[in-house]
Amino acid sequence: MELNLVLRGIALIGALIVGATALIVLRAEWRKTALEDHVTKIMMVLLTVGCVEVVLVALGKLGRM
Amino acid sequence: MAKALHVPSDAEYADVSSQRLLGFLFFLISDCVIFGDFIFSYLYLRDVAPVWPPPGIERPYLYLAAVNSMVLFGSGATMHYAMEGIRRDRRRQFVAFILATIVLGSLFLAGQAYEYTHLHDTWAGSTFGASFFTLTGLHGFHVLIGVIYLITVFIQTLRGTYTQQRHFGLTAATLYWHFVDVIWVALFFLFYIY
Repeated sequence: MELNLVLRGIALIGALIVGATALIVLRAEWRKTALEDHVTKIMMVLLTVGCVEVVLVALGKLGRM
Repeated sequence: MAKALHVPSDAEYADVSSQRLLGFLFFLISDCVIFGDFIFSYLYLRDVAPVWPPPGIERPYLYLAAVNSMVLFGSGATMHYAMEGIRRDRRRQFVAFILATIVLGSLFLAGQAYEYTHLHDTWAGSTFGASFFTLTGLHGFHVLIGVIYLITVFIQTLRGTYTQQRHFGLTAATLYWHFVDVIWVALFFLFYIY
């Protein structure tokens, strides 16, 4: 039970940090127009979605144990 | 007599790089199709099964996978900053962030190996096990290739192959690593949440 709490805490903190970083990167890349920049934007949006997934899992709103 | 080696100008290099980039994106799209095939077969197996996961089969440990996911997603962020280091000619930033990416990628693989050895199912044990090990194994193989790729471009950069103006290999490595991250977003949802 305690291990679950520790893992959820680590996942939550990690997801918040990485999600915020992905959004910062997305904002910085937004005006760039090269092909690789557009791909990076798509990847960052999807990475943010992944972080939201993990936040919801860590908060117990998503997933079954 | 030995032929003189043609060194392309910056404009030539940029032109060739854009063609290579397009080719690399086609490769990533074809890889998406491979994962898509396996994902659809998993969804089909799941749809026709009366109970999912099959009786007697436990789902993988959700919270360990959540932490492992964050390790991989974090490596996507560090890889971006490694690439920015090369773009801005900041060698120390590049070295620190690409090493962090390699370590995080290796940690993800270690986490996956731990999960494989502690899961109460096998490849041939059930349809769930077959799908789980095929898809996460294929993804893990991509991560392993990615880690080797990153180590290679890291050594090449230290030897001066890539510079602020000429770094297609690093661009490709960054896109590949982001691709591997994004595929895991889908797999994490399918096997641990859905």
